[in-house]
Formats: sequence, C-alpha cells, structure tokens
Amino acid sequence: MSREFHPLVKQLLDGERTLYSLPPELQAEAQEAVRLLGAMDRRDVTFSSGLEARVMQEVRQHSTARRVRANTDPVLWRWLTAPSVPPWVVGAVSAASVIALILVRPGPTNDPEAIAQATAVAPESVFVKFILFAPAAKQVTLAGTFNRWEPGTTPLVRVSDEGVWTVTLGLPVGQHQYAFVVDGQRWVVDPAAPTVDDGFGRKNSVVSVSLEQGRVM
Amino acid sequence: MERTAVGPPDGVIVQAVLSGDVEQYAVLVRRYQDRYARYATRMLGSVDAAEDAVQDALVRAYDQLARCRDPDNFAGWFFLILRNRCFAERRRDQRFAALDGVPDVPAEENTEASLERAERGKGIERALQDLTPEQREVFVLKHMEELSYEEIAGRVGTTVAALKMRMHRAYDRLRELLEEMR
Amino acid sequence: MLLAPHLAGQGRADARLAGRVPASLAAAVTALLDSAALRGLPGAPLVDKTLEGVAKGAPTDRILVAVRTVFHQLDAVATVLAETGNTGADAVEAGSFAMSAGLATSDIGEIARTADRAHPAATALLVAGTLAALGVPRAETVALVRATIRSGRPVGDLVSLPGQVQAAMAGGSPPAAAAAGLARAAEAHLAPGPRGKGRGQGNPHKP
Repeated sequence: MSREFHPLVKQLLDGERTLYSLPPELQAEAQEAVRLLGAMDRRDVTFSSGLEARVMQEVRQHSTARRVRANTDPVLWRWLTAPSVPPWVVGAVSAASVIALILVRPGPTNDPEAIAQATAVAPESVFVKFILFAPAAKQVTLAGTFNRWEPGTTPLVRVSDEGVWTVTLGLPVGQHQYAFVVDGQRWVVDPAAPTVDDGFGRKNSVVSVSLEQGRVM
Repeated sequence: MERTAVGPPDGVIVQAVLSGDVEQYAVLVRRYQDRYARYATRMLGSVDAAEDAVQDALVRAYDQLARCRDPDNFAGWFFLILRNRCFAERRRDQRFAALDGVPDVPAEENTEASLERAERGKGIERALQDLTPEQREVFVLKHMEELSYEEIAGRVGTTVAALKMRMHRAYDRLRELLEEMR
Repeated sequence: MLLAPHLAGQGRADARLAGRVPASLAAAVTALLDSAALRGLPGAPLVDKTLEGVAKGAPTDRILVAVRTVFHQLDAVATVLAETGNTGADAVEAGSFAMSAGLATSDIGEIARTADRAHPAATALLVAGTLAALGVPRAETVALVRATIRSGRPVGDLVSLPGQVQAAMAGGSPPAAAAAGLARAAEAHLAPGPRGKGRGQGNPHKP
C-alpha cells in the first residue's frame, strides 16, 4: 500500500527546504524522494541533421501553394479589378458614419500588373482597409482584437476635407472584432458591417479573413 | 541549454519571412529545433516521436507566423505550439510505452551503482508516461529543464499554486508507480 | 469552473495580461486560462475579451462575467465539435464566434457535420457567424451554409455568402428572405438522382 509523500518532503523536492531541516522520522522518506529525482536522465537530446531540411522542404511547399493561389485565382482578380465599390457600402449617411471595407492586396498600387508580379505573400495575412466618414471628429482610432484593443495604437488618417478617415492593416486569418474610437471616448461600430454583442452592453463590428483566396467577409 | 544568440534577433528574422523571404525561416529552425528536444522527448516518451512533433510544430509555426504577437520572443511562442502538439498526441498505452532512443548509461560507467541507477532511470521514464500530460510537463520543466515555478507559470499561462498542486500529485503518483514496478 | 478559486491571486498572472489589467482580475482570468488549457481550449479569446473590457472601461465584475461567458461558449463548442470529429483551435474559435452571433450549439454541430475537406469547419463557421451577425435567423443561416457546401461549389462561393446577403439587403430584402433565396439557388444545383431531390450528398448505396 503506497502512501503519499509527507508535505515537508514535497517541499524538499520543490527545492524549498534542505534535507537537514527535516525531522529524523522523515529522513528515510526524504532519501527515497531524493533518489527518485537523482535517477532521472537529464542528458540533452539532439535531433538528426535531416530535420532542418525536412522542415524547410515543407515550408517551401506551403509558401508556393499560397503564392499560386494569390496570383491565379479568378475570383480574386474580379474582386481586385472591379471599379465599383463593394456591395456592402451603404449609400445613406448616418450622423455618425459610413464605413466601407475594401480588400487591398499588398503592393504599392492596386494596379493588376503590379499585383501579378508580387512575390511570396506573407503567411496568412491579408490587407484590409478601414474607412470612416466622421466630419466632426478631431481624432479617430481603431481598436480591436488584432491590436489588443488598445485605442491609441492605430490612428486613422483624415484623407479628405469632407471628413473621410482611413487606415489599412494586415490582418491574419480568422475572425476579428473591432470598433472605431472617435475623439478618444466615443466607441462607434461600423453600421454596414456585421455586428455581435460585446458582453458589455455595446456591439462590436466583425471582419473575418478567410484562408481561402484571402477573402474578407 | 541556453545558448547565446548569434546573428540578428528573432524579430528581424520573423519580419523578413513575413515580407516574403522564406529561406530566412531556416535560421529560426536551426536556432530552436533542439531547444525543446529534451522536453518533447520526455513528454512523448521517445526521441522519434519528439522529432516528429518538433517538425510538425516548426511547420505550423511558419504557417501561423503572422499571428506571433511578440516576434522577438519566437522561442516562447514556438514552445506553446510544440506544447499543444505534445498534448494532442494520444497517450500511449503504458504497457507498450517504447523507450527507444532514451540513452543508456555509457559503457565506462559500468559499476553496480550506475547500473542500478540506469534501471531506476528507465523506471522513472516509464512512470512519467503514466502521469497526466499536465503532471508530466510540470515535472519535466522543473526537474529536467530546471525552471522555477514562476518561470513555468509564465510560459504555460497558469498560476504557481496550480502548478504546485499538479507537481505534488505527480510526486505521489510516481512513488506509487515505482513501488508497483518493484 | 475555477481551479482552486481560493488560491486565485497567488503566483504570477498570465503574461498577456501584464501591465494593463488590475491584479485581481488578472489572477481570476489566469485561473480561467488554466482551466481552458486543461480542457484543450484556446486561451486567446479569453485574453481578448479581458483586454476589451479594460479598454472600454467596464467594471471588473462585469468583465469577469463576460470572460466566463466566452469560456462557456468555447467549452460548449469544443464539446460539440469533438463529437463531429472536428478538433483544432481554429474551428473552436470560429464556433465560439458563431455562438456570440446567436447560433446554438446544435446549429454548430449541424454545420460541422456538413463540413468537408474542401469546406473546412472553421471557414463554414466563420461564414455562419457572419451571416447571423448580419441578422439572418438561425434556421436560414444553417440551411444556407449547408446547402452551399453540399452543392459542391468551390469554397470561395461559401466565403462570398455574407457579401451576397448584404447586397440583397441593400436592395431592400430582409436578411431571412435574402438567405432563403440564396439557399434555394444552391439547392437547385444539387444533382438529382437516387439520392433524392435536394437531400444533399448521401450514400447512394444506403441499405
């Protein structure tokens, strides 16, 4: 029948007590415990030299697959070259804002030529442009799961006198929740984007980046 | 176990890879492929299984590189990916736990004491495999990798108190298992 | 749900919460993260919700309630996904998002069972959650996602569903009707034959 180690012996094993601080009746148990630890093989393990080659081979395959997808997908082409605004931009303007989400590929311009020549796409990230129409605002920032909800780190830039503010971010694949923060205190959702309850009595806007063809929902 | 870093910091390499220079990832592979080899071997019970797990984890780390929120601490982030991979591995049936690859005592040390030690060592390795993965992990990180409870708590995202509870159960379970083996 | 709650507050808090979260909240959330790790649940959604609550200035006890809600969502989703053979943090996070958008665990199970190699569960659940977040009711959301997958169309069509629904809504259609219309279109593409009209892909050699 086995018993549990005495709590003082466990402290010894944890390195919080010396052998000699234990009472005589526990010395035998303590020796047994120390032998248990001492018996372990602590030698380093090194792997075979082929491991690096195997990893890099797989990594290169993954990178190529992504590049092929990015440059040859007809759906993506149609999306990128469409001159019209994406279907979910709402024409009506509320007092707060009108917001559009546009998928932009990494690269200096939206020119299809330039995109065709783009080399490897960064692993699993897609550029998304956020736009807010807020003519009365003095400052607009973006807070969300992609920047740890820090309102100060992602400012939008006012790009027109009428009051259009924008920022473009590379977002990794997955679901992201966000909101705009106007003048440091007013939290504003995107009225044209899907929303979910935030658990605090407000709502968050949602943008989902899918692995398949880098689509944004 | 800690080696001094040579070359650019991890964050620079990560940025280069994310900008499209795939080959730079080999630098990170070389830096960290053996860093957690001992941990993975003790968690999974064999060097071969550990090598597979590290290979998988390195490839997955590449795939998910954009999600690495602290690129200068690639090692810590990679550790978590490897850890998840080790925990996901189905627990081996104890009766067939293979100890292939666990080094034997070298020939020069062939005294009776060292043979007895080697036997006990094998016993511990076998017994470790019979702990829960969480118990095995805290035992390996503290007594093999010599981390403090605070360091372990920071790495795996838990409290020192919770770790001690696990460890103390592990001590008792190991004692029980080793007695059964005699 | 918490491990040894009387011990919360001892030891270091999770590093991801450092510097921004009051100590008592950090300790409580760290204990939840511990529980999540033991169950194989992703911890990032718990960290995200904590940081969000702090950023929005919510009171500590409200934040903890919100984080616990996320925990229960993740747990419920992971349970139902495990039954359908879908593991992986991506699918669990996507399912949790779908729940916060209003879907039930049974909906998530149905969608996950319909998912296949070409239409992974994580993607299908992201789409479903987005549709629900647009206002499409549960039944229409599930029907549309399943019909699209079973029609065998490429996954890009699945991913474009929210945009199509929004376009229809911009044209004046309520979300339920928009989704139902798209589902009918998808079902019309299902091959007729021994499997039956609109019944989806089943085993033609059913006993």
